[in-house]
Amino acid sequence: MNLRAAAAPVRPDPDSAGVASLVERAQRGDRAALAEIYATYRRTIRGILLARAPRVDVDDLVQDVFLVAMERLSSLRDPAAFPAWLAAIARNRATDCLRSSARMAPLPADLPVADVDRTEALLVLAAIQSLPETYSETLTLRLVEGMTGPEIAVRTGLTEGSVRVNLHRGMKQLREKLERTLR
Amino acid sequence: MTNDYLWDRTGPPDPDIVRLEHLLAQLRPAADGPRILMFPARARAARPSWSFVATIASLAAVIVAIVGVSWRLVQTSPSLDVTRLEGTPTIASRPVADHLELRAGTWLETNDQGRASIDIASVGRVEVDPHTRIGLLTSRPGQHRLQLQRGTIHALIWAPPGQFVVVTPSSTAVDLGCAYTLTVDDEGVGHVRVTTGWVGFEWRGRESFIPAGAVCETRVGLGPGTPHFDDASAAFQEAIAVLDLPGGAPEARRTALDRIIIDARPKDAMTLWHLLSRVEGSDRARVFDRLVELAPPPAGVTRAGVLAGQRMMLDDWWDTLGLGAANWWRVWKQQWR
Repeated sequence: MNLRAAAAPVRPDPDSAGVASLVERAQRGDRAALAEIYATYRRTIRGILLARAPRVDVDDLVQDVFLVAMERLSSLRDPAAFPAWLAAIARNRATDCLRSSARMAPLPADLPVADVDRTEALLVLAAIQSLPETYSETLTLRLVEGMTGPEIAVRTGLTEGSVRVNLHRGMKQLREKLERTLR
Repeated sequence: MTNDYLWDRTGPPDPDIVRLEHLLAQLRPAADGPRILMFPARARAARPSWSFVATIASLAAVIVAIVGVSWRLVQTSPSLDVTRLEGTPTIASRPVADHLELRAGTWLETNDQGRASIDIASVGRVEVDPHTRIGLLTSRPGQHRLQLQRGTIHALIWAPPGQFVVVTPSSTAVDLGCAYTLTVDDEGVGHVRVTTGWVGFEWRGRESFIPAGAVCETRVGLGPGTPHFDDASAAFQEAIAVLDLPGGAPEARRTALDRIIIDARPKDAMTLWHLLSRVEGSDRARVFDRLVELAPPPAGVTRAGVLAGQRMMLDDWWDTLGLGAANWWRVWKQQWR
């Protein structure tokens, strides 16, 4: 089993005033602010996309999301709403991707036969992706990207209550699904 | 069982969740993914199946070997990848069916229905509107120069400032920011509207810095005009146009300057700053006095120095306007000149 730390630290979350300040700087063309936004939200966006889109497309989609966000940043009227706004772009981008391509098969053809852990990881990811979107997104951010519930709330613009419910109900459904498919 | 561990890892670890964390952690990108945002070199095509790839792999290897040697011999000019968006754009009169390379010294042209995009890897993307003629002057790491002869482009640039330059019949536009639209009409008059970041216009030492939300015209033989925010009053914008065109009646120019000074809002300090180096004598003093009211100068910037046209003082004052530092422009201008 791959024992890479599941709880790798994510970048500290700026508070809402910090987010607004960062976004306002980016809207004025501050490159350092753009880089900070990318570094802070990259993993969140990746998790949102991974919950919905084929894994092989996710890294390219992350790039697409930030390009779209950069293009539209000047139209964002409430900079403090940036996390929810960015997450919405990611969800829409994933939907567009699925419309234009067939959904990924649970087991890709290039899977190395001997890599049992990776096989199981992909099966679990497929199980997560098959859950309702609100659950799959939150569980992907928690289990794949290693974020905590409070971090997920801050970075997606969801309330802590919603994230807690999504985690609890999503985990319950995931356990049931894995019971049926893996055992 | 508690959900605290699932929530924030503070409770007793749930063995199932710990196992899933370890299992799924291997799906994170190596080294935590790319540290910088990279534009894809071209739009991604649908992925073929691996069996298909295996079937053509050996044939492809032979072709690649042959073409590779030939390519090294003929590859003498840089190129950018062009994607057709609508209609039938052409490059050197060849229609762009899907993708085609734009090589240095060639023109990309769109008719009334044509649209295309130009991808510049790691730098940005340029969308080309209908009825546009744009050519590639050079493309190498750190410097990409296009020439817009007519039409409209929308540039979205992520690379560091100064790497992307568009030459127009009346000015050179240097990207110092992120997103802008540049139009050149059939008379060579250029018009830039900046969405994010800022753009520098330059012609024979005459400079304009155009920040997000602002527009600026540039004319053949005159160079860049005075930029102004696009929400300025119509009277303010008309007055700017009067001052930008030489040869106007003195009374008309005086009336125009009166209007600018009366209507200027705090954000229009950007416009007044430009006027400081475009009007002279008592007019410059009037602009100085109004700009002091709207955006007080920093220490070291004196009335005498500004009225004498001292560039360093003007730059120091610009830096206090909150629109980016002027030294970017000074440094990067040396690289593309």
